[in-house]
Amino acid sequence: MEGLFFNVNGGYVEGIVRGYRNCLLSGQNYSNLTQCETIDDVKLQLAPAYGDFLASLPPNPSTSALAGRMTDKLVSEFRYLIAQATGSTAKFLEYLTYGYMIDNIALLITGTLHERDTRELLERCHPLGWFETLPVLCVATNIEELYNSVLIETPLAPYFKGSLSHQDLDELNIEIVRNTLYKNYLEDFYNFISTHPDFAGTPTQEVMTEILQFEADRRAINITLNSFGTELSKLERRKLYPEFGKLYPEGSLMLSRAEDVEGVALAVSAVGDYKAFFDAVGLSQGGGGGLGGMGGGPADGKSLEDLFYQKEMEMSKLVFTRQFTPAVVYAWMKLKEQEIRNVTWIAECIAQNQKERIGNFISVF
Amino acid sequence: MAASAATYKDRQFLAVIGDEDSVTGLLLAGIGHVTDPPDSQRNFLVVDSKTETSEIERAFENFTQERKDIAVVLINQHIAERIRHSVDTFADPFPAVLEIPSKDHPYDPEKDSVLKRVRRLFGE
Amino acid sequence: MSGAGPREAVFPTRQSLGLMKSKLKGAEIGHSLLKRKSEALTKRFRDITRRIDEAKQKMGRVMQIAAFSLAEVSYAVGGDIGYQIQESAKQARFRVRSKHENVSGVFLPQFESYTKEGVNDFGLTGLGKGGQQIQRCRETYARAVETLVELASLQTAFLVLDEVIKVVNRRVNAIEHVIIPRTENTIKYINSELDELDREEFYRLKKVSNKKQRDTAAADAEILAARQRQAEKDKENGGAAEEPDSVDVLGEQEDTDVIF
Repeated sequence: MEGLFFNVNGGYVEGIVRGYRNCLLSGQNYSNLTQCETIDDVKLQLAPAYGDFLASLPPNPSTSALAGRMTDKLVSEFRYLIAQATGSTAKFLEYLTYGYMIDNIALLITGTLHERDTRELLERCHPLGWFETLPVLCVATNIEELYNSVLIETPLAPYFKGSLSHQDLDELNIEIVRNTLYKNYLEDFYNFISTHPDFAGTPTQEVMTEILQFEADRRAINITLNSFGTELSKLERRKLYPEFGKLYPEGSLMLSRAEDVEGVALAVSAVGDYKAFFDAVGLSQGGGGGLGGMGGGPADGKSLEDLFYQKEMEMSKLVFTRQFTPAVVYAWMKLKEQEIRNVTWIAECIAQNQKERIGNFISVF
Repeated sequence: MAASAATYKDRQFLAVIGDEDSVTGLLLAGIGHVTDPPDSQRNFLVVDSKTETSEIERAFENFTQERKDIAVVLINQHIAERIRHSVDTFADPFPAVLEIPSKDHPYDPEKDSVLKRVRRLFGE
Repeated sequence: MSGAGPREAVFPTRQSLGLMKSKLKGAEIGHSLLKRKSEALTKRFRDITRRIDEAKQKMGRVMQIAAFSLAEVSYAVGGDIGYQIQESAKQARFRVRSKHENVSGVFLPQFESYTKEGVNDFGLTGLGKGGQQIQRCRETYARAVETLVELASLQTAFLVLDEVIKVVNRRVNAIEHVIIPRTENTIKYINSELDELDREEFYRLKKVSNKKQRDTAAADAEILAARQRQAEKDKENGGAAEEPDSVDVLGEQEDTDVIF
C-alpha cells in the first residue's frame, strides 16, 4: 500500500540515494587501495568515486585533508538530497543532521566555557550539523546567555529542555552534556519514526527501529565500558542510557549496576548479537584482557567497537533491500561515513608505513 | 651550578609547540597544564599553516625564558625549522629543548640542532 | 737562561725558592687530577652522545607508533577530538622532577617523570564511542613522553657536560702550558741568582783570606826579625829571656785562629 504513494514525494530522493550507493567503494576498490605506496596513489584510486573533490588537493596531501574532501562530497550530496526532499522525508533527513548538531553545539559550549573566540570554532563545526542560528551561538559570551537566548532558538532546544539547566552546562563535564543530548535525540528520533503517520507501520519504522535500537544499545554499552575508572557515578551513568532498545529495560538496569567488564557482558547476554560480540573479543569469560585492542583482541584483531561498526554496516547494507523508505538515506550516510573512515585509515597506514594493520577496515560490499 | 640548582627544582612541566595531532597526543598523555586565572597560561601551542612565525617565536621565548616552571620544551621539527635561528642560539641547559617528529614529517637527524653538535664533535 | 721565559716577580731568595718548589709540586698534582677528571668526563660524554644518538632514533619510532594510535582514535571516534582535548586540559598529570647525578664533581641534572595521581582531565572523553581507543592512545603517548623525558635529560647532560669539559680542558691546558713552565722558569731564575750570589761570596772570602795571609806573612817576618834581634841581645847579656817569649806564643795563637 505504501508503495503507491511513497514515490510521489520520496521516490526521487530514494532513486538518487540508490545511485549514490553504487558509488561506494567495493571490496575490489579497497584491495586496490591497500596496494598503494603513496597518498598520491590513493588519490588516483579514489578518482572514479570522488573525482572533482580530490582534484584541488596538493600532491601528497595529508590524510586529514583527504578525509576533509571526502566529507565535503558527502555533505554536498546530502545537501542536494535534503533540498529535494519534501514533507515527512525532509523531516526525516533533518533528524539525521541533529547528531552532528549535537557535536557542534558541544564544541561551541566548550569554547564559550573557556572564553575562547568562538568564531574560529565555526570552521571546526561539522558542516552537516550546520543550522542557520549556529553562528548566533558565537555572540553569547557566557553560558547563561548562551542557554537563555541562543540555545532555545536551535532545533535542539527540546533536548535541552527538562534535562539540562544552564547551571548544568557550566558544571557538568561536556561529555555528559553531549551524551545527554544524544540520548534525548535518539529517543526523539525513535519516537518520531514510530508515531509519525507517514512512517508508522511502514518498512521505515521496521528498519529504523532496528537500527536505532542497535544504536541505543551500542551507546549504552560503550558508555558503561568507558565510564569504568572515571568519576561518573552509576546514577549519572544510568541517566545517559537511551530508554529504548533491545537492552531496555532489564539490560539497561543491569548495565547501570555493572562494576566491571564482566558485569557488562552479563547484562548484554540476553541479546544474542551482543553476547556473540563479547564472546568474540573474549570479554565475557576472560575479563579485562584486550579491552580496546584493535589488533590486541583475539578475534582477528577486532575490538568490540570494530564489531559494532561491522554490525552497523551490515544492517545498513540490508536496508537497501527495502523499498519505499527514506531509511536508505540513513544507511547510505552511515556507509559513506564508514567509507571515509576506512580510506582515512588506509591512507594513515600508508603515510606512516604501518602496512601490517592496513586490513583493519570494514568493507561490506 | 649552585645558583641554577635552586631554579630547576621548580621545573616540573613539559611544554609543547606542535601541530594539532602532536599536541593532541601529548595532551592525552597528560602534559597539558593551564595556570590559574586571572592570567591563565597554557603550556602548549597549536601551530597550523595559518600561524604566524612571530607567534611561534613568542611562544618559544615564553617557554624557554619567561616561564620558570618548564623543564622540557617539545617542538615539532618542522616547526623548529621555521624558527631555526632561535632554536640554534638557545644553548642553556634549562629548559631542555627537544625536537620531535610529527605525523606528517618524519624525523630527520640532520636538522636537529643538538645532533648537529654531536656530529660536529665527532667530526662526522 | 733565567730570562728565557716569563717568570713571576719574586725576590730571588731561598724562601721564595721553597715557595716556588711547593707551588710547582701543587701544579703538577692539580694537573694530573684535572687531566683524570677531564678523561672521566669525556668518557661519560662519549657515552651520553652515543645514547643520545640511539635515543633520537628510538624517539622517531616511538613517536610514529604514538601518532598511529592517534589515527586509531580518529578512526574509532570518527571525528576530531583535538579541540576538545585542548580545552579540557587543566592540570598536568604527567610531570617531571629533576634530580642530580654526580659525575666527578659535576652535577648532571636528570629528569624523572612521574604521574600526578588524581588528575584526569580526559576521563570522559569518548564516552559515547572511542573511549577505549582513547585510553590506549593515552597510554601509548605516556610511554612516548617517557622516552622524550629520558632523551631530554640526556640532552641536558650533554649540554652541561660539554660546557664543563671545555672549562676543565682549559684549566688543564693552562696548567700544562702556562703555570708549570712559568713556575719552572722562576725556580731556574732563583737558582741562578742564588748561584751568582754564592760565587760572589766565595770570591770575596778568597780575597779576604789572601789579604790576611799577606798580613800574617808580614807579621811573621817582623816577629822573626825581632826574635833574631832578641837572640842577639840575649847572647850579649844572657838570662831575662823568659817574659817576652811567653807573650809571643799568645800572639801567634791568636793569629792562626783568625785565619781559619
